Amino acid sequence: MSNSATATQGVTGQPRASERAVDIRDAHYVYPTGNVVALGGVDLRVEHGEILGIIGQNGSGKTTLTKLFNGLLKPTSGKILINGIDTSTQTVQQMAAHVGYVFQNPNHQLFARSIEEELKFGPRNIGVPEDELDERVAQAVEFFGLKDYIAEHPYRVSFPIRKLVGIASIVTMRPSILIFDEPSTGQDHNTTHIINGLMRRLRDEGTTVICVSHDMPLLADVVKRVIVMKDTRIIADASPREVFADKALMARTNLQAPQITEIALNTVVPRGGHVALTPEELAADISTRIRGTAVTPSSTAR
Amino acid sequence: MSDPIIRFDDVTFTYAATDEPALHSISLDIQAGEYVAILGLNGAGKTTLGLCVNGVIPTMLGGNLEGKVTVAGLDVSEYPVREMAKIVGMVFDNPEFQMSQMSVAEEVALGLENAGVPYEDMKRIIPETLELVGLAGFEERSPLGLSGGQQQRLAIAAVLAMQPQVLIMDEPTSNLDPIGKQEVFDMAAKLNRERGMTVIVIEHEVEVMARYADRVIVLDSGRVVMNGTPQEIFSQVDALGELKLRVPEAARLAQLLAKQELWSGPVPIRTESAVEAVNELLGAHNV
Amino acid sequence: MSMQMALPIAMIPGNSVIHRINPLAKIVWVVGYIALAFSTQNVFLLYGMALFAFLLAPIAGVTKPLLKGALILVPVASSLLAIQIIAPAVEKPWTHVADIGVLQLYGDGLYYGFVLLGRVVSCLLMALIMVMTTHPSDLFTSLSKLKIPYAFNFMLAMTLQLIPVFQREVGIIMSAQKSRGMKGRGFAAVLPSFVPVFVGAIERVQQLSISLESRGFGSNGFKTSYRQVKVRPSDWVIGIIGALLLATLVTVSIMRGLWSVSSLVVFPHIFVFWLFIVAAGTFAAIILATLIYAFKK
Repeated sequence: MSNSATATQGVTGQPRASERAVDIRDAHYVYPTGNVVALGGVDLRVEHGEILGIIGQNGSGKTTLTKLFNGLLKPTSGKILINGIDTSTQTVQQMAAHVGYVFQNPNHQLFARSIEEELKFGPRNIGVPEDELDERVAQAVEFFGLKDYIAEHPYRVSFPIRKLVGIASIVTMRPSILIFDEPSTGQDHNTTHIINGLMRRLRDEGTTVICVSHDMPLLADVVKRVIVMKDTRIIADASPREVFADKALMARTNLQAPQITEIALNTVVPRGGHVALTPEELAADISTRIRGTAVTPSSTAR
Repeated sequence: MSDPIIRFDDVTFTYAATDEPALHSISLDIQAGEYVAILGLNGAGKTTLGLCVNGVIPTMLGGNLEGKVTVAGLDVSEYPVREMAKIVGMVFDNPEFQMSQMSVAEEVALGLENAGVPYEDMKRIIPETLELVGLAGFEERSPLGLSGGQQQRLAIAAVLAMQPQVLIMDEPTSNLDPIGKQEVFDMAAKLNRERGMTVIVIEHEVEVMARYADRVIVLDSGRVVMNGTPQEIFSQVDALGELKLRVPEAARLAQLLAKQELWSGPVPIRTESAVEAVNELLGAHNV
Repeated sequence: MSMQMALPIAMIPGNSVIHRINPLAKIVWVVGYIALAFSTQNVFLLYGMALFAFLLAPIAGVTKPLLKGALILVPVASSLLAIQIIAPAVEKPWTHVADIGVLQLYGDGLYYGFVLLGRVVSCLLMALIMVMTTHPSDLFTSLSKLKIPYAFNFMLAMTLQLIPVFQREVGIIMSAQKSRGMKGRGFAAVLPSFVPVFVGAIERVQQLSISLESRGFGSNGFKTSYRQVKVRPSDWVIGIIGALLLATLVTVSIMRGLWSVSSLVVFPHIFVFWLFIVAAGTFAAIILATLIYAFKK
């Protein structure tokens, strides 16, 4: 991984400060085949540099919603403004310069002869000049630790590496908004941990990060805001702390808070303590209660 | 203790066209009726281990197998996979890749048809099996029209119909949503408890395994590096951390508190035991 | 999002008289239709067959999907008739009936055009009726009774199964590539997606073959069948009537030298003219609409 100084210079895109990253107004989407309602009126505003998660069961409308962001789907009614641009006037290709979409399965995404070509494909499509391509690739290789694989065929590297290549191939386009669809599916803890770090760093550099996931510990660890979807609508929009602490909400959506949050809810919270999202937070809280001083988290590795 | 239902006797397996063994001198006994969780990073050899039990290795997938795998007293390398299917059922992470029929009933029937089970018996076995996995009444539906959780339960029903003694599930819920996950794990627990079925699950979600498993086996680069009860394994927070594996958050909490000399009792691995222990701790300090 | 993509041609569940007919009896009719259609040039017979097949639709309750499935005939019919009018597939001399700009219209090929169309329409309608009223599994079970090998049947069934799955996969892959700013249309744009589709297919086949083998698929021993397709007396009657009737008509037709009745059918010039306008216009409109759609995408 590179130091963050080089990364800040622009592994990621340039948002237009004056506009919201995402501004969705009363969006409806009905699948043309069979008149299936997939979104029944969604309002959502996301500022630049936010990092948020979208949760809900399959069929709740999560994927449909994210596909509206980059114009893969156009709303049946309502308006989608991305960086101030109305997606209904744009092609997916035009939106690609603003919104990056990391698909769940990297196998759906990769097809070039080498990882280097894979990383160049996206930026080349959106008109990045050839001499700048090399620089972007070099930065991404550094950022994702892909140095040893650059000449390999994308299908010859291990699945976790392929996942990173899938993400890197989007990051080289430097979109100001980056969507992750189930980034931890099929990955072990080690890779998930790496992806968590990547999402956090991208956010630190100003990218708006949107993560659709069933992985509650991952979200608890990374995002600052959670959108809960059920039956084609947004039914909650709050911090992960508030969402995971809302027992009725979790029950209604059949979702389960991270184990540590459940422990906190049944121990320190009734005594006036905090809703913890990580073991470190809860340990600190317990320690303060007993000794009056906080535990210094000795390591962040879990 | 009676003879184990599964025995690995110094098994080393190398896939064709590779040099590095996928499994390194594995010796392992699994008793009938156990619920075993197998943990490890991607590429640690978990799936390979499973395929050795149902005989896909070495009969279908080529390579060099040393040592001996015995299942229910049979040397696996001497029986074709379809014979082993009557003893071991295996399901994989992507349920859709295991569907081949036009209707749910026929999906379950496939194995029975191939085994020459008479129609009259199938008429009894199929609804029974679907009932067992909670898919009664779905007989005529198309497998591809089911939800992910339903599809995975159907994949399980399709192997259960052959009435195996062992069920191996390879990351059975990685493609499912939380409801689907719950459905599959509840069902596997029921099969294990009520029918005494031996269940082996390859899984990343340690909190879930802490709740269900009787035993946890940890693989690293093709070797068994840990083997014990969930309590024994998940208490070793630092050792698992070095293997880049997660531990239940409850165990991690206990470890953090132990470093502050606030915790001395056993390491909790389930939510309920952690809640109880933390409340006791807070109570003892009058907070 | 688990969107079930419906095949345009698939079984419409139901319990009508037609649904309950044994698949083999239906196969007799479809095969008979094909044999008869290609051994006659009698338009009355051909369109009579089409009408008969069409009348079965309301009985089976599949009128709407049948019409939907038959939509494919519109471009076929319009192009076929329009071409026959400007370039008859019969020997010269042709009778010139009208001019549109540089185009010269003739009526000579029209009879033959209607024969070709009649063959396609009658066979397609009957085949659709069969497909829409027969559970594929029953069809395959019946075929295996005809000693068609199990593996062949299985492959056929699997292929049918996998079409919607692959359609969906291709959709996801194309979306993934569009999301990366992929430009270009048509074949050039689809080409790169073959790599992931191919890789995905190999993975799928590998897992499926392990899964099938684990369920005894490869065994050569005695196999049983869960699907029990009953053959009732009425099925025998329907099958035998179909076979006799259609065989008789085939024989009559061949004995009469394909039974062409072109001399009985006269197309007035004005009819040829307007038919051309309608057919060519429809075809042009379809082409135009397709282009606009492709361009907008």
